[in-house]
Amino acid sequence: MSYKIPMGPYHPGLEEPYKLDLICEGETVKDAKLKIGFNLRGIEHLAETRNYIQLTALMERVCGICSNIHTLTLCQAMEKLTGLTPPPRALYIRVVMAELERLHSHVLWAGIAAKLMGFKTMFMTCFELREKVMDVLAAISGNRVNYSMNRIGGVNRDIEDPLALLSLIDALEKEMARTVIPIFTTSTTARKRCAGIGVLTREKALSCGTVGPTARASGLAQDLRRAAPYAAYAEMDFDVPVQPDGDVRARLLVRALEIMESCKILRQALTKMPPGEIDTGDDKKIVFTAGTATSRVEAPRGEVMYSVSWKENSKNPSRVHVRTPTFANMPAIRWMVIGARLADTPLIQASIDPCYSCTDR
Amino acid sequence: MNQLESIAEKLGIATPWVEKDDVHWLEPGTVSVRTLAQAMNAVEARFITITAYQLPGDEGFRLEYHWDLNGQLLGFPFLLAGNSIESIYDLCEAADWIEREVHEGFAVDFIGREYEPLQLRAGDTPGFNLREEAK
Repeated sequence: MSYKIPMGPYHPGLEEPYKLDLICEGETVKDAKLKIGFNLRGIEHLAETRNYIQLTALMERVCGICSNIHTLTLCQAMEKLTGLTPPPRALYIRVVMAELERLHSHVLWAGIAAKLMGFKTMFMTCFELREKVMDVLAAISGNRVNYSMNRIGGVNRDIEDPLALLSLIDALEKEMARTVIPIFTTSTTARKRCAGIGVLTREKALSCGTVGPTARASGLAQDLRRAAPYAAYAEMDFDVPVQPDGDVRARLLVRALEIMESCKILRQALTKMPPGEIDTGDDKKIVFTAGTATSRVEAPRGEVMYSVSWKENSKNPSRVHVRTPTFANMPAIRWMVIGARLADTPLIQASIDPCYSCTDR
Repeated sequence: MNQLESIAEKLGIATPWVEKDDVHWLEPGTVSVRTLAQAMNAVEARFITITAYQLPGDEGFRLEYHWDLNGQLLGFPFLLAGNSIESIYDLCEAADWIEREVHEGFAVDFIGREYEPLQLRAGDTPGFNLREEAK
């Protein structure tokens, strides 16, 4: 006999407001339905009532974790509509901010995953490491969450002494290599809780349109930083970690390896950062051409895409459409939990690193 | 012949691809969105999203379908004289949520499918959020 177990929208196993209706037989999940929209904020509608400066501040609030990525994607789209090209130093600063954001997002996720595995010591270790990344972000931008770094045509703040940040990156990388990665890759707890759990095959990952680490853990090798480079990524040397197994462990490994690649990119961006201006200095004469522009960026959770449309002589956009990575990845949870044990579902859903702030934009 | 030209030829579209601001656009002409979805599946393109625009007055809607093919962003604009277009959800399950979202935001009907609420709540009406007349 099958029975339905509702998880959410407010549940200790799911710390954000969405709902999983799990159809179970015994302890085995036979099917699942997902429901979102509990905190829909109507940001796409609000965007149509904002000028380009207000719009940047608004879109920074789409996501609490990857706020910088949203303004980066938006500014890239608006730069296409205005013909502005940010100076090289600004592009390097955008890379530094994006990679620091990826680091803090991945380490945050590692901590939450550790907690869901029942590995609470590891949770504390990860959150201590995350604080160090947040310290670097605060040192650059003055803020821990909404950094306000991106502006149309460049960035708002310079990194005055990039080389001074190298020691922080070295310390972070050393700690990751010494504790987090060995424990996640070799400990019995992590292996037993993650290996073979929540499998998403390559075929399903493609048909569901999954992106980012979720897709790369199912053997889909795409990373926009490599496939369609933006900012200064074309000048960076890095690997794109891919795992074929499609289980929770594969998603864990991809993110762990990406942390090391982010450190590699950060070291290059800080060392090679060219001198010069950080914006075009065209603030007073920005003119939007009528039309639509699209921009894509590889956020910590995968591809973010913005389509921004402007009408002739308008102060405000006529349409801003945001496709977030969780919106693409979340439907795949259904296929991950079918056949899984009920007790594994909180960890399985967390393994895509879901963000409902983005999804309920 | 490159892969994009090959796709256009298989679809029977004579107009060329136009690259603008990192998007490769192809006007689908009389090709249906379902035929397009099948062609995208055949080359293992990844579905990204549908962006809906309401056109002025009674001109209907413009839906832009986007796929990614090996890092290339492909765009296919469909003009809807009314407010309906065929659903591709059964061919491309990645389109499920965005079809539901466009239906709820703009009251566009995707023919051949049923809707479960995505972001709507009891008492809400499709089109409440993004249609001009609802603002």
